[in-house]
Formats: sequence, C-alpha cells, structure tokens
Amino acid sequence: MSECIVITSGKGGVGKTTTTANLGVALAQQGRSVVVVDADIGLRNLDVILGLENRIVYDLVHVIEGTCRLKQALIRDKRLENLSLLPAAQTRDKNAVTPDQMRELIAQIKGVADYVLVDCPAGIEQGFKNAVAGADRAIIVTTPEVSAIRDADRIIGMVEAAELPEPQLIINRFRAKMVERGDMMNKDDILEILAIPLIGVVPDHEDIIVSANRGMPVAFDDNSIVGEAYRRIGRRLAGEPDVPMLDLSTPDDLWTTVKRWMGMAPAREVAR
Amino acid sequence: MMDLFNRFFGNRGGGARSKDEAKQRLKFLLIHDQVDLTPAQLETMKNEILAVIGKYVEIDADSTEFKLERDDHCIALVSSVPVRRVVERPASAPMPAAEAEAAPAV
Ligand SMILES: Nc1ncnc2c1ncn2[C@@H]1O[C@H](COP(=O)(O)OP(=O)(O)OP(=O)(O)O)[C@@H](O)[C@H]1O
Ligand SMILES: [Mg+2]
Repeated sequence: MSECIVITSGKGGVGKTTTTANLGVALAQQGRSVVVVDADIGLRNLDVILGLENRIVYDLVHVIEGTCRLKQALIRDKRLENLSLLPAAQTRDKNAVTPDQMRELIAQIKGVADYVLVDCPAGIEQGFKNAVAGADRAIIVTTPEVSAIRDADRIIGMVEAAELPEPQLIINRFRAKMVERGDMMNKDDILEILAIPLIGVVPDHEDIIVSANRGMPVAFDDNSIVGEAYRRIGRRLAGEPDVPMLDLSTPDDLWTTVKRWMGMAPAREVAR
Repeated sequence: MMDLFNRFFGNRGGGARSKDEAKQRLKFLLIHDQVDLTPAQLETMKNEILAVIGKYVEIDADSTEFKLERDDHCIALVSSVPVRRVVERPASAPMPAAEAEAAPAV
C-alpha cells in the first residue's frame, strides 16, 4: 500500500527541502519506489538539491492542467532507478492549483509509487493547504530555536485541523557542543514543548552544504554522519521504529576531562 | 575561586544557560499564541472571577494565583484562591444572582 507524507515546518529555511531529498534517497535505497514532489510552486528548489535541474521539461502544473501526462513529467534519478522527482512550476504562483487538484494528483502518483514525499513551502497559506491536501501523514521539521519551534507548534495544530494523524518530528541543525554547554535546547526540551513523537535528529553539518553544491544528497554518502542520520530516519519511516538514535555527543577534550575528573565541570547535557 | 576557574576556562555556571531562557520564553509564547488575550484582559478576567467567588466565600485576595498552563496541546487556567471563611448571609436570603448579571461580559 502506498503512502503520501508531507514534509512541513511553518517557518522557512529550516530544512524541509533538504529533508525531502534525503528521505527520498534513503527510502529508495531500501528498495522502495519513491516520488518526491516539489509543492513549492514559484520557488522550486528540490530539483537543485537532487541535481536534476537540467532535465526538467514538464512540471506539476503541466500535469494538473493536462498539458502532459504524469509519466512525462516525472524525472527518474539515474543514480537510483526507483527515485523520481515531480518538479514545481517556477513561473507560476501558489494559486495556480487547488487542494482538490493536488488531492487528485497525489492519488494518481500513489498509483505508481510506494512513497510520495511532498516538499511543502514555508507559511500557512494556500501553499501549505495544497501540500497537505493529498497527504496521509506529516513530518514536521524544526530547528532548536524559539522561532522555529513556535511555528512548528502552529503547524502541528493545522495538521491536526486537516484531520491527518499525529505528525512526527525531525529536529534539524542540532549542535551537540552547544547543547552540552546549555546554549541550545536538547531533544527532551523540544519534545516537552511540542509533545509529538520524534522520528530523528539531524546534526548541523557542512556536509549538507557540500552536497547541495554538488546536487548529490548527503544520504548517498556512506561515510557522512548526516547521511547516516537520514538513512536511519528513512528506516524508521518505513516501518522500523526501533532503529537506534545516532549518538551525536562530542568526545570530551583534554581540559573537560581534567575538569570532570576534578569534579569541576558541570553535569553534562545529554546530546543524543 | 571556582568562579574564577570557571570563567578562565570559559564555563558559565548552571544559572546562565541560554537554553533555559529559550524554553521559558517559548512556553509563554505558545500559551499566548493560543489564548490570544492581552495581559489587561487576563487581569480583568481574574478580577471578575474573584468577584464572583467573593460573593460566596471570603477570600484572601493578596495570595490568589492565576496561571495559564499548557500540557500537550491543551491550555488550562490553573488558579489557587485561599478561602478564609464562608460569607455570612441570612439563611433565607437568595443567592446574589442579580449582581452576577451586572458584571460586564469579557
Ligand atoms: N543539517 C544542516 N546542516 C547545515 N546546513 C543545513 C542543514 N539543514 C539545512 N541546512 C541549510 O539551510 C538552508 C535551508 O535549507 P532548506 O532549503 O532545506 O530549507 P527549507 O525549509 O526547504 O527552506 P524554504 O522554507 O525556503 O523552502 C540551506 O542553505 C541548507 O543548506
Ligand atoms: Mg524548501
């Protein structure tokens, strides 16, 4: 049975597109057929993150308006046979499609894929309503910051109002060092506030920028810790909820070790 | 001495962790995002509630506490109103309902 999952956040720039691309790769690596849909009409980006921007002929609006068939618009990723992208229109705006049209489109895509991942635009307006229209469930992406968490809370309410089941949370751009010195909220702080189940924590890491430069999602990189974080989330998503969380804690440096030994370093915040 | 040591090694004591501030501010924000009442409206509500309670029991107005709290996604008004004793009134007198109606609506 196929499933549509929308990746959303409320606040912009917290990592929805990066997450969608990497979870798409992670699920496809597990042998599932995956279509990632860029619902950010007018500001398309998912194509660039996936390195598929040069192959776009048709887009989501063309399919909805009947200019082409779904098959013609899907771009198959040559690195992973069972991963495809449905790009957003770049020269149209969010009002070019309606929630009903999206619902119909997603139903059609579900007919050809095990997983449909929808990259939601920022905000709570029409773009959000379109992106959640065909979804069976939602993943909320947040960073450990006051403004992002506030917006995530708002979006959780809107996901519930859209009658989707309780969403799951990804905490992105987690910085273990800052958490350990008490300058960033940890996993439990955030969960206490948002009160939804956690599906994964992704470290803040320069590998993300390098992979964006190359158009090669970090989940392809077997040696990257961020890649590993996404691969594990992919497994949890696909029915292995007990895959252990990555240990993101940093090793003590020499001074901290000495101070801890002398009883002078503060108790350590758990950064897992 | 410890203080100096900690400062020297770039360690601020437990009291200065910015994440605690972040969490406190967030909790406050989320309650007020949801309830959408100004502090002045909250104060009026509190005074009206106290006025109603005061018709039945004598209360210690100085040590009452009204707080909005959030648990999962529900907001609760949690209040603590210390009662001194029941207000004395003649056994036959009706409940002072007319006064309640006179109170302005929120
Ligand atoms: N874990 C991470 N580590 C480092 N940089 C990151 C991480 N996640 C995201 N970024 C960076 O943050 C920026 C925003 O990411 P992204 O485009 O995925 O966010 P978005 O939520 O889709 O944004 P928008 O709301 O504009 O669609 C990008 O420059 C990306 O490289
Ligand atoms: Mg995006």
